[in-house]
Amino acid sequence: MTSVRVRNLWKRFGRQVAVAGIDLDLPAGKFIGLVGPNGAGKTTTLSMVTGLLRPDQGTVEVVGHDVWRDPVEVKARIGVLPEGLRLFERLSGRELLRYTGLLRGLPGAEVERRATQLLGVLDLAGAQHKLVVDYSTGMRKKIGLAAALLHNPEVLFLDEPFEGVDPVSAQIIRGVLERYTASGATVVFSSHVMELVESLCDWVAVMAAGRIRAHGTLAEVRGSAPSLQRAFLELVGAEGRDTGSDLDWLGGGAR
Amino acid sequence: MTGLTSTVVRLKLALLRNGLRQSGGRRAAYVASAVVTLLFAALQLIGLIALRGHEHAASLVVLLVAVLGLGWAVMPLFFPSGDETLDPTRLVMLPLRPRPLVRALLAASLVGVGPLFTVLMLVGSVIAVAHGAFAYVLSAPAVLLGLLVCVAFARAVATANIRLLTSRRGRDLAVLSGLVIAVGAQIVNFGAQRLGSAGLGQLDPAADVLAWVPPASAVGALDAASEGAYGIAVGRLVVSAGALALLVALWARTLTRLMTAPDGSTLQAAEPAARDRRTSAGLRRLLPGGRTGTVMERSLRYVWRDPKTKAAWVTSLAIGLIVPVFNALQGTGSIYFACFAAGMLGIQMYNQFGQDTSAFWMVALTISSTRDAYVELRARALALLLITLPYATLVTVLTTALLGDWARLPEALGLSFALLGAMLATGAWTSARFPYSIPQEGHKNVAPGQAGLAWISILGGMVAAALLCAPVIAVTVWLNVSAGGDRWSWALLPLGAAYGASVTLLGLRLAAPRTAARLPEILTAVSRG
Repeated sequence: MTSVRVRNLWKRFGRQVAVAGIDLDLPAGKFIGLVGPNGAGKTTTLSMVTGLLRPDQGTVEVVGHDVWRDPVEVKARIGVLPEGLRLFERLSGRELLRYTGLLRGLPGAEVERRATQLLGVLDLAGAQHKLVVDYSTGMRKKIGLAAALLHNPEVLFLDEPFEGVDPVSAQIIRGVLERYTASGATVVFSSHVMELVESLCDWVAVMAAGRIRAHGTLAEVRGSAPSLQRAFLELVGAEGRDTGSDLDWLGGGAR
Repeated sequence: MTGLTSTVVRLKLALLRNGLRQSGGRRAAYVASAVVTLLFAALQLIGLIALRGHEHAASLVVLLVAVLGLGWAVMPLFFPSGDETLDPTRLVMLPLRPRPLVRALLAASLVGVGPLFTVLMLVGSVIAVAHGAFAYVLSAPAVLLGLLVCVAFARAVATANIRLLTSRRGRDLAVLSGLVIAVGAQIVNFGAQRLGSAGLGQLDPAADVLAWVPPASAVGALDAASEGAYGIAVGRLVVSAGALALLVALWARTLTRLMTAPDGSTLQAAEPAARDRRTSAGLRRLLPGGRTGTVMERSLRYVWRDPKTKAAWVTSLAIGLIVPVFNALQGTGSIYFACFAAGMLGIQMYNQFGQDTSAFWMVALTISSTRDAYVELRARALALLLITLPYATLVTVLTTALLGDWARLPEALGLSFALLGAMLATGAWTSARFPYSIPQEGHKNVAPGQAGLAWISILGGMVAAALLCAPVIAVTVWLNVSAGGDRWSWALLPLGAAYGASVTLLGLRLAAPRTAARLPEILTAVSRG
């Protein structure tokens, strides 16, 4: 079954092509990693898939509904944690969850119940009355994740959820996401940390320069390479870049 | 000059120069402000010289220097980023001893337009009050002491509060600074007007006390010396010097502590949680349920918690009150000035989504139909009305009371409500059609490249709002000029209110489909900077 279906997706910013014709079918109930170097178009793609950025061309369907023609069906079914966009930072963590939950149409008591549990599991209970503007990066990612999970969406889109997050918070986020996919939901997240993707994901799409270079299960994409990191470097053509001859003053010699 | 002092002074000059090199606009702004400051200083200097021999010259001059000192103390709190050498935490990794560092930083502080302005003011003050050989002898040390006390004061305050100033709360404070200056200018203006009518003699008691308070005591010493009270003169100079020594010592101590102790400002502290929860629950109970109440609650919270929003609101509230009431007080007012409050407050409806910054994505993800967009906009308008409606009424009643023109209260209120409604309607529509980013740092309220958009939306919106009010204005004029029309002027209150309400509803109805259809475009527009 397909949770997200992307067809011929394009986005240009001025003369620069950020996303150059993507076709992609993401399987449902999987932990999906969208990997690629910085500037590969991951954020642009995720923004267009979640309805936050209008594509120049192409269609996106989430759980069978067109994102642009049928927003009522789609927006109720997805949770999003974007990268580089603010939260309502002058609300406390708990107020932010309450606000999000009520806007999503959940009843007040249910919002309170879920918020309390999420704050507890994500280790934010002690900071729930602090304004989000005073949160650390890891805490922001966690409260953003809580806000995205609050209405129990079918598909969760996370843009760089582990960027700048300390190991303890990262482990907590991981635990929550694993629990969430175990219930049959889909997680799509972007990252440029291969080890992380390799240890978390069942399914991977590799992106570079606005195009999908490879996609499939982890084993398929890895192929004969010893690790995803190696496979990725081969795919994007960054293998064998020589740094040995310069920087001789650093010592250690060329290896 | 020791090596360190000259290095720091040169660092300061380099920072100044590089700051100016960044952009032509900045250079022009700096040159313009320097020229204006120096022109102002020169005029003051001429004025002070002209004051020489005036009966109350000493009182005025002492007060002037006291205000100058206060300005120096307050300045670093509001413009923390204005001087990069002022932030000693940047030098923390260098092996520096406190004593030479203090000397070097003090010397660096003497470079700039501000100190030059102060010197000119002090010189003018000295010329205004100094008479006799003894006073002439004391004048040079008095100017020097006055200047050093001012600068050391600023440095001590800045250093003591540097943790605050570089923290989030400090930056929030800086956003409000423009407001403090504006309100302060109003108070000074009002005080000056009263002085103009009551005479400078009123200043004498205050000046007698301030003459002992540094840095005014330096000028106070000259005044005493001119009157032959040599003991008092020396005493006041000693007080000034003592204050300088104390300030420098204080500064050196906080500097040492700052540079040796770790920064604890990012550590998590236990929060007083219970209070926070109670107030929010109280607010919630008063608001309607569903999206309306949720959006209203957040909007109202942001009025208080977000520095940019708060500054905009306080400015609107203050100007909306000051213009009609002050005009009424001065006897030049008209009751129709009360509409100013409604107009100023209605501006807050403009660029609603820009006020959200890029956090608008959270709103965008929950709007999936025109109905959602309508409820969202209506809730924002309701949150605004919760404050503006009583406030506009209050200002109108107050203006009427001051003018004693009660017969015209209904029509003034009716006009106010109609204008408020028109502003909300045009505000909602321009929010959807011309959104723009509001940078969260610094004093700018428009992101680069969007200034034209902001001006078009606000100016165009205001003109449109005035045109929308035309029917109510026409009826008001007609009732005023036609014979026997006064009997019907009460009808303008319900008419204006009903007209305002229907125009608002119409505006929201027109804005909602545009908002729902343009969510990604709005998000892109408000996410800059």
